[in-house]
Amino acid sequence: MSYKYLKQTTGLTRLNVAKSPHYTLGVLYGKILRTLRKMPEDAAYRKYTEQIISNRAKIVQETVAVEDFEKKIDCGQAEELIVQAENELVLSRQMLAFKPWESLIAKPSADQWSWPPSK
Amino acid sequence: MSIRIITRAIQRLSTVRTGTRTPTYFKLMTRAESTTVVPKQKFDSVTEQYLGFGNFVAECLPKYIQKIQISSKNELELLIAPEGVLPVFHFLKNQTNCQFANLSDLCAVDVPQRSNRFEIVYNLLSLRFNTRIRVKTYTDELTPIDSITSIYEAANWYEREIWDMFGVFFTNHPDLRRILTDYGFEGHPFRKDFPLSGYVEVRYDDEKKRVVVEPLEMSQEFRRFELSTPWEQFPNFRSASPTTEEVVSADKEKK
Repeated sequence: MSYKYLKQTTGLTRLNVAKSPHYTLGVLYGKILRTLRKMPEDAAYRKYTEQIISNRAKIVQETVAVEDFEKKIDCGQAEELIVQAENELVLSRQMLAFKPWESLIAKPSADQWSWPPSK
Repeated sequence: MSIRIITRAIQRLSTVRTGTRTPTYFKLMTRAESTTVVPKQKFDSVTEQYLGFGNFVAECLPKYIQKIQISSKNELELLIAPEGVLPVFHFLKNQTNCQFANLSDLCAVDVPQRSNRFEIVYNLLSLRFNTRIRVKTYTDELTPIDSITSIYEAANWYEREIWDMFGVFFTNHPDLRRILTDYGFEGHPFRKDFPLSGYVEVRYDDEKKRVVVEPLEMSQEFRRFELSTPWEQFPNFRSASPTTEEVVSADKEKK
């Protein structure tokens, strides 16, 4: 449950080395999955996000060394994965309010998206 | 199962991009969608990935996305309802498969013939996946549109520019002032009905020792000045085929 060597920096501005990435990621992924469960079963956003997050959660849980799960997930360093999970959590909570799985909110007028406009 | 039909196959520059890192999620999406996508025309792999990604976003946000299209230069465009500005940008910025964290440009287009004359165009960049996307929405002179400064800090000045040039009002913008025109300027210069010469002229007055602003006076009164914008600038292309190809999903058609 740790790094193979002492990690001093992420090399990215204002992104500090995470003390215990396994724990942080586990908590975040759990929170995201719990939020997603409040959405309707057939919502595509829930379906796709659940797929990604549960896959990542599984990899993080199974892998001991941080470097190894970074390589397996292949989406940046553990610190970046944490940022992504935080963003996803904020998004999923907002999606509950937006309800984007409902049908189209407003239809465009017929000439709205035609180009050239003289047609 | 929804059958997606790609209509209007038109001339496209077949730009083959080599050397760019292909994001793995695009591959995944294409594979997942390949059973449902029935293209009339054979696309190259890059376009297919864009189509797959466009379908993914449209599937996740059916409430807001009106249309997906691929431009003639192989760029993905999402055409959204103005009510969906905030949810769509929240999604594009924060979803793990999108991560369009960078707003590279924001501008407007004025088409006076349309009932919603202003088109607002957002260009996004995802550094993580090395891809770009364009989002378009619309509004008229009176309807305000949601400001995205809460999501992208960069939108602050861009929205001020649009307010200044086109007069589109953005709600919840922290500081919506003119940005390009002079103090006391009236009107919105990029509107098509704004006269080419403007309404006022500015000169230095030697007696008053300052710059004075006066209503515009044309010295040759007998000459017919063309003050309106020559709007139709490309008459040769009046009947040309559109520059984009539209992606219509069958289940959307039914609705």
